[in-house]
Amino acid sequence: MRFMTCAAVCGCVLLLGCDAQSGKANNAQGNISADSPPATAAVAITAAMPTAAPATKAEALKIMHERHEGMEGLGKAAKAIGRELKSDSPNLGAIRASAKTVTRFAPKIPSLFPPGTGPDVGKTGAKPEIWQNPQDFTAKAADFQKVARAFGTAAAGSDVNAIKSSFASLGDSCKACHDKYRSKMKH
Amino acid sequence: MQPVWDLPTRLFHWLLAALIAFSWWSIRNHHTDWHIWSGCAILTLLIFRILWGFAGSSTARFSSFVRGPRAIGEYWRGKWSGIGHNPLGALSVLALLGAVTLQVSLGLISEDEDGLYMGPLATLVSTDTADKARDIHELWFNVILGLIALHVLAIVYYRMRGRKLTLPMVTGRARVERGTEPMRPGKWWVALVCLAIGIGITRWIIAGAPPFGS
Repeated sequence: MRFMTCAAVCGCVLLLGCDAQSGKANNAQGNISADSPPATAAVAITAAMPTAAPATKAEALKIMHERHEGMEGLGKAAKAIGRELKSDSPNLGAIRASAKTVTRFAPKIPSLFPPGTGPDVGKTGAKPEIWQNPQDFTAKAADFQKVARAFGTAAAGSDVNAIKSSFASLGDSCKACHDKYRSKMKH
Repeated sequence: MQPVWDLPTRLFHWLLAALIAFSWWSIRNHHTDWHIWSGCAILTLLIFRILWGFAGSSTARFSSFVRGPRAIGEYWRGKWSGIGHNPLGALSVLALLGAVTLQVSLGLISEDEDGLYMGPLATLVSTDTADKARDIHELWFNVILGLIALHVLAIVYYRMRGRKLTLPMVTGRARVERGTEPMRPGKWWVALVCLAIGIGITRWIIAGAPPFGS
């Protein structure tokens, strides 16, 4: 009887846990228009997060769109690099091309998270905790910038082991921020 | 009390339950590396169970419990007696084994959103396929949860009708009606061979399934 109760409780806990997760993902309202133009404007490199919110909702959504595209590009670059590094003879040219995506986007990150671009404004995986812990978030973004630069330097060389180890640090930096400040987002 | 479930089958059952719970917990808490290892352990268990289903004790063998619609009908009308999985419960066993096998297969070729973790066979497919596999892997877990819920509910239902099923899955023994054909136990060394094959195939897959992969 005791075992049966345990099994039943485990089953219920499993079901509850799953439900809590799906509920959270559906909270985001609004949507970033899919046909808005790709953001090409250069963004000033800043060390700190902007403190002022965008003036209009349209402006906020534009930043969020740029952020989303940029992060997606980063993910694609990481996947391409990871696959090269797993192969027997990594294509250094392909790694360098993807590394450029990383080093170009990394410095933009702090400026892409102004207040007023959270899940209450539009569909985003950015958690409200970002704006509750601005110092920690900024420190993590700065760390990412640092490891991205180091990765760019390693990728410019031909030492595959050095590229592998700096790619691992890059991944750790992505994960440190994502584990804390990103929620699941389906699109 | 007569033996109804052998030790390998019971260990398989509880390890599978524990590893499914652990897989769910680890991925919810961002331990993707543990999640992948847990999936590989489940793969070993599945290979073991499938082999044990052909070479194990009588109650563990598919041939003894997968009996088809006629037997299910007879069971429904109360004309079935025996030990082990009943003909209807056999469907649940097959569904669970099949669903978990599909889940593991999807996980093997999945890649995480950030490009930081790859299933051992993800390099055999494109990035797009690996991303899609991950999405389906996530959705498919709900199917597994549904089957687990059904499984637990069935046990609760039998308990209310006076049949205790959980304790026999722990101790391996149950009160059996006089005249029921007893369990023919499998050989312990056969279980070890099945496990060794499971570990061997899993290691080959973790290595990227050479010569097809890296």
